[in-house]
Amino acid sequence: MALSHPSVSNDAIQVHAQNVLMKYQQHTLFSVADLTFKQGDVIYLQGDNGSGKSTLMKILAGLITPTQGRVASHGFARNPWWQIDSLLGKAVYLHQHPYLFEGSVKYNLTYALKQLTLTAKERHHRIEQAINMAQLNDLLDHHASDLSGGERQRLAIARAWIAQPKLLMLDEPISNMDKHSQRLVLAMINQLKQDGTGLLISSHQTCGLTALCKQHWHIKQGTVHTSMHVPTTETVHQSNTTELHYGTTN
Amino acid sequence: MNDGWLALLQQAFSLLLSLNPDVWAIINISFSVSFAALLITVVPSIILGFILAFSHFRGRWVVTNLIQTLQSIPTVVIGLLVYLLLTRQGVLGDLKWLFTQQGMILGQMLICAPVMVALSQAAFSSVDRRAWETSRTLGASWLRAVWTLCRELRVPLLLAIIAAFSRILTEVGCSMMVGGNIMNVTRNIPTAIALETSKGDFAQAIALGLVLLILALVLNFILGSLRGKALPRSH
Repeated sequence: MALSHPSVSNDAIQVHAQNVLMKYQQHTLFSVADLTFKQGDVIYLQGDNGSGKSTLMKILAGLITPTQGRVASHGFARNPWWQIDSLLGKAVYLHQHPYLFEGSVKYNLTYALKQLTLTAKERHHRIEQAINMAQLNDLLDHHASDLSGGERQRLAIARAWIAQPKLLMLDEPISNMDKHSQRLVLAMINQLKQDGTGLLISSHQTCGLTALCKQHWHIKQGTVHTSMHVPTTETVHQSNTTELHYGTTN
Repeated sequence: MNDGWLALLQQAFSLLLSLNPDVWAIINISFSVSFAALLITVVPSIILGFILAFSHFRGRWVVTNLIQTLQSIPTVVIGLLVYLLLTRQGVLGDLKWLFTQQGMILGQMLICAPVMVALSQAAFSSVDRRAWETSRTLGASWLRAVWTLCRELRVPLLLAIIAAFSRILTEVGCSMMVGGNIMNVTRNIPTAIALETSKGDFAQAIALGLVLLILALVLNFILGSLRGKALPRSH
């Protein structure tokens, strides 16, 4: 099924998927004819559990190769000649349960900076900003494994933010989180939106986070549907009720 | 009988503590050869272990099985293989490495590499895939991401290195065949123990045996404390 998508300028920083089909063993997880995720987009990715939201994000991040189809990036700076010009590192993917490396909070926070060529001043400035944004000031020297769920998610977002990605994908970023952490993560994501970072946020239900979104991708019955209309809590509730009533699952 | 044993032990300690040049030359050869073999092998073995754990190329199963088989081949058979390679008519005969430390290093490399590859493959297979994905999506190069995984797996990888080192330091078959047990050149601890025992010079054999025993105790202590630190991650 061909999907229309808002037209994008050719020079925009983007990841573009064409005729992508993803199979898991013999079962088709989803297919999509044309999908573009570009800088400045704020997209709510919706789908039932197991519908393939994380898989779609990982495909766009270059972490998984689709069964069929092509995913390409445009507008990014070229890699040095000794590195393969792959999708990896272009659209940054954040796991639902972020993985923190063995070591301190500071080690994790500065992980992505080692790839970048920055002056000491720029580096220091970015670290300061990230710490303040994630409110991790008192935890810098703590071991990352000592953090709570909310702190881990904040650290993961700050760790990605510090490299200033053009495109960022957040997989259920506020699930199983207390209200305080939810507020902080929401503020961080809002900041990223203000900075013009392209955001793709997955959630199986609408919340304050999805209200930030301007576009809607919905994985439904094995197909990715795109629209400019982001559902509100009420519309999703109605839709879910209908699906449950007719026993529709993905 | 007991007095005889005590006297031998006393002589053995005396040989070690008086820094007997013959005994310490043997210890020096043993450690330098085994360290060299380990140093040359460690990086390629860990990278091969990573590739076998993380990639799905055609024939991976065959390579994995081959490495597991190589682990169980007796060292004397590897010694025979290396001997045939290094002998004057052999493929590597021009190197003139037979009965040299280089030949012993080559043999020990073939002994320790399969151990390290297999153990590092097991370590990489057990790592949380999110570690790799996180590293790569944050822009780390392939090599840096592998290094990150090595850092995450430092305890099991160190265990693999120690296991490989103890295997080559104590092996006798390959060293005897390829090295030839030449004093001050290729005589290492295991070959010297075998020789001195056959000659009836038990004091030197016991002194060298004590070195291996102390080393085994130290390595076991390190392994034990490392295993204690390698607690399962809760995230």
